[in-house]
Amino acid sequence: MRLTNTLTASALALCVTTTGVQAETELELARFFGSCDDAGTDVSAAVGEACIIQTIINAYSADDNGVTIETLPTDWGNYYDQLKAMYAGNSAPDVHVIHKSSIAEFASLGALMPLQEDDLRAAGINPDDWVDRARDAVTYDGQMYAIPMDIHANLWHINLDILAEAGLVNDAGEPILPSSPEELMAHAKQVKDATGKDYLTADFAQFPIGVRMVLAMLWQQDSNVFSGDEATVNTPEAQRAVETIVGLFDAGYADPNLNYNDSQQAFLEGDAAIQINGTWMVDIYDSETRNDDSALASYYVADYPQLFDEAATWADSHTWALPVTLQSEPEKYEAALGFLAWLNDHNVDWARTGHLAVRQSVLDSAEYQNLAHRDEYSNTVNIARDNPPAVRYSAIQDVLNRELQSIWLQGKGIEEALADAEGEINRLL
Amino acid sequence: MNQRALPRWVFIVVTAAAVVWLIPVVWMLSLSLQPNELLSRTTANTFLGLVPVPFTLDNFRAILSIGDTPRWFMNSMLVAGTSTFLVLATSTLAGYAFARIRFTGRSIVYPLVLAGLMVPEQVVFIPLYVMFADWNAHNSLPTLALPRVALPIGVFLMTQFFKDIPDSLEEAARLEGCGHARIFWSIMLPLATPMMMTLAIITFLYSWNDYLWPLVSAQRTDFFTITVGLAKIQGNFAQSQGLGQLMASGVLASLPVIILFLMFQKYILRGIALSTDK
Amino acid sequence: MRLTSFLHSDNFSGWAFILPYLIAFVPLLLWPFIQGFWMSLHEWNLLAVTFNPGAKEFIGLGNYIRLMGGDDIGWSLQPMWPFRLVVSALVVTLYVRSIRRRAVGYSHHIMAGLTLFTTAVLLGLTGDWYDTRFWIVVRNTLVFVAWVVPVTTTIALLLAIALNREGRWAATLRSVFFFSQILSVTVVTLIWQLVYGVRNGFIANVLAPFGIDSPNWLTDDQLAMGAIVAATVWWSVGFALILFLAGLQQIPGERLEAATLDGAEGWRKIVQIIVPSIIRTVQFVMIMQIVLHFQVFGQSQLMTQGGPGDATNVWVRYIYQTAFRDSEVGYASAMATVLFAFMMIFSLIQFWVTKRQES
Repeated sequence: MRLTNTLTASALALCVTTTGVQAETELELARFFGSCDDAGTDVSAAVGEACIIQTIINAYSADDNGVTIETLPTDWGNYYDQLKAMYAGNSAPDVHVIHKSSIAEFASLGALMPLQEDDLRAAGINPDDWVDRARDAVTYDGQMYAIPMDIHANLWHINLDILAEAGLVNDAGEPILPSSPEELMAHAKQVKDATGKDYLTADFAQFPIGVRMVLAMLWQQDSNVFSGDEATVNTPEAQRAVETIVGLFDAGYADPNLNYNDSQQAFLEGDAAIQINGTWMVDIYDSETRNDDSALASYYVADYPQLFDEAATWADSHTWALPVTLQSEPEKYEAALGFLAWLNDHNVDWARTGHLAVRQSVLDSAEYQNLAHRDEYSNTVNIARDNPPAVRYSAIQDVLNRELQSIWLQGKGIEEALADAEGEINRLL
Repeated sequence: MNQRALPRWVFIVVTAAAVVWLIPVVWMLSLSLQPNELLSRTTANTFLGLVPVPFTLDNFRAILSIGDTPRWFMNSMLVAGTSTFLVLATSTLAGYAFARIRFTGRSIVYPLVLAGLMVPEQVVFIPLYVMFADWNAHNSLPTLALPRVALPIGVFLMTQFFKDIPDSLEEAARLEGCGHARIFWSIMLPLATPMMMTLAIITFLYSWNDYLWPLVSAQRTDFFTITVGLAKIQGNFAQSQGLGQLMASGVLASLPVIILFLMFQKYILRGIALSTDK
Repeated sequence: MRLTSFLHSDNFSGWAFILPYLIAFVPLLLWPFIQGFWMSLHEWNLLAVTFNPGAKEFIGLGNYIRLMGGDDIGWSLQPMWPFRLVVSALVVTLYVRSIRRRAVGYSHHIMAGLTLFTTAVLLGLTGDWYDTRFWIVVRNTLVFVAWVVPVTTTIALLLAIALNREGRWAATLRSVFFFSQILSVTVVTLIWQLVYGVRNGFIANVLAPFGIDSPNWLTDDQLAMGAIVAATVWWSVGFALILFLAGLQQIPGERLEAATLDGAEGWRKIVQIIVPSIIRTVQFVMIMQIVLHFQVFGQSQLMTQGGPGDATNVWVRYIYQTAFRDSEVGYASAMATVLFAFMMIFSLIQFWVTKRQES
């Protein structure tokens, strides 16, 4: 099968070159999401982030549009380091994925190509269709620098069986989730007493899920880690947020030592009722419920609950940007825009991963709304939040991650850690 | 070699240590031969997971079906082979000169070269990357191989070696009227063969296992080395295709050096007359 | 005539012999290093300078002051006083003893002076450091090196003595202990991350039947550094082992015969006969390891991401983060230059110490 595919492909390539209708424009593309090497061109059959995005890319390459796309190999952990090295070596990819949170840094240094709305429209992208949040995500200093592909946010992934055992599922089969820190503790105790299991699990040890939880609880109290260029970390609100989480650890309702993999295992093996993680887990966990060996039989996914005055959850966006160097290569610019339009058209396919779509027309479509579990976290798009754009965003997140870890893993005093974090973030700003 | 028998307790302790030493690798190999579905539940199925029961080759099949793997092997071979050859050539010549020729400037150049031992890779990384980019030389096999040739470890080893060769050998040749080129080629090189073997193996190993430079310099699949290629397959540890496949990729990436090691272990473990002592 | 004699001169041969190496060394190591130093004197943002070459600013030693300076710098007896007291006393005793024995050269003065200066003055400095993280990663790196180098050297030396004999058993075990050395850092960290896994790790599996929960090897700040050290020792004993084996083979038979490991007397023989006989190998192995392990990066980056907190963050990882994640290549280069100076000093001290034993 593979062989025939390859043969057909090379035969086709042969035809193109011999007839010489047009020279192919070749684009180099950089992305993370992992690799999917046996990806074909059938977008509707692909599963998981890596394969969905790669089939979208392959399909565009295979399409008769005079453009071939070479996906540059990058590995996830070093993506931005590699991207920077490429920019610094004047060998930036012609189109690349970038987090909303990193746009400020790259755009402020003049690396990204400013996108003109007219050009986008000419290529078939309608920015008016994007939800406000998505449009804000790609805008820095009043200028658009990328096109958004998703909004991804923290959700509560729930093992309904465990909550049911603790009496925390209502008659409609929905989980009963806490609405205050006190209730959170009470529910956790209820689960522990009834089942002996942990109430929630997340990666508090390496990946910054813990930071994102604290951020959400700050926003829920109408606070933030910085405003303008002043850090506001050491506040009563932040203390309350941290104390809420530490309370779970101290009472033995959650384990701060699990890393990403361990926490995922804990959830899949039914050792914890709730996992806090991103939208990208939805289709993975959903498929686990059909696996007989998995302890996760009834899966539910909920919006991050409102524990304080207002609802909020951490969110970021994957977006696609072009390097400023394309300005001198109109042919490639044209081709890259065409590809961005193609991505925009496949917004609903990308949303199959669990991510939120960015186009209002997609959000309203039946195809989108019929995706598994979609109705369970429909409000997330409204409560998604993030820090204001900051050039030093990743460094700030790293400071928070370190200081928070030092609280729950190393026993550092909350106030001391928050004060240290505040000092360091102030220096960064 | 020592002929006396070991005390029994030493024998037992060392053997036990060797068994413990092997466990991580045996475990990796065994996990790579077990089905992913099983591993997602337990990694200790048969005898702590050290025995691959149930057995499957699916993980290896999955990785080998990725068409580029043979090409990456080839690239790694070419890159490691080239840098090994160049390191041998340059460092035997330079080592001989530093050890046995009194020339003006030696006392300045040699310490400078030795100081190069202490330059961390990450320090020169950015200037080096930008330089090759200016030459438009990324995505090529020479670019992957060359930076390793500049590392002074080979020069250091060879200088140490040549320093210890008794003067009498050289003096005899001098009296015959031989120049340095002749002495180097006919006397020193044959003497240095075991040492060069060691150096070759070390260089090849480190070059094979090099990660950061090929990761950034080779941006096209065609120019991947196997380490980078398989690291890419490993992708995000958290969202990988499964433990078995992850382990299989580790086994595959190590396989050529393991074979090389088994073939040359005599040279590596016994034959080296690394003459750092008189 | 002139030309021929020049072509036969030592000067010409010497330079001709080192030329091929210099062709690689100068542009690919020396020049980038100098460029790095040049960068360290600037406020230099990687991306900003790419798109606007004028975006760098010469600030002289500014980066170094930011790195190592602080406000309200004072000195106190208190920090780490037991450690400082013991080391200082030890150095003074050794120094006085060698003066009495009239076995003292200029290197001893320098060494004693440097060590005393470090323990008495440097370690006593207090202040609000500008970059507190830098001192944390320096300490972590020193701790890492201080564990890995002696442990690896000792294990390798003992194994070499035990395995320096004919026969299948010794040959097989030599291969076993060298084997781990050939794996790449990505594979080593992959294996050990799994061995240490809290839920499905090998150690957890071994402990499970006894009802013991696995310790949190990589996320407990008391254990994480130890876990990384253990994995590193496992990885790097092999190379030290073969160097020691080679060294042992150079010892004349009768001396080695006398130094056979047999019972309680064995330890004394190891220290008094074997080690002095291969002191240059020991020196070489230790310098190599100091240089190598000061640059530890992969283990910290891939196994713990420097965590928990900064408990396993190391010098080179901090450099890497500063250069790539934060784009501050000027500041990162300053850190790298200091690291370079540090390794130089350590290697020189090491060199002097073994030189003394040699004579």
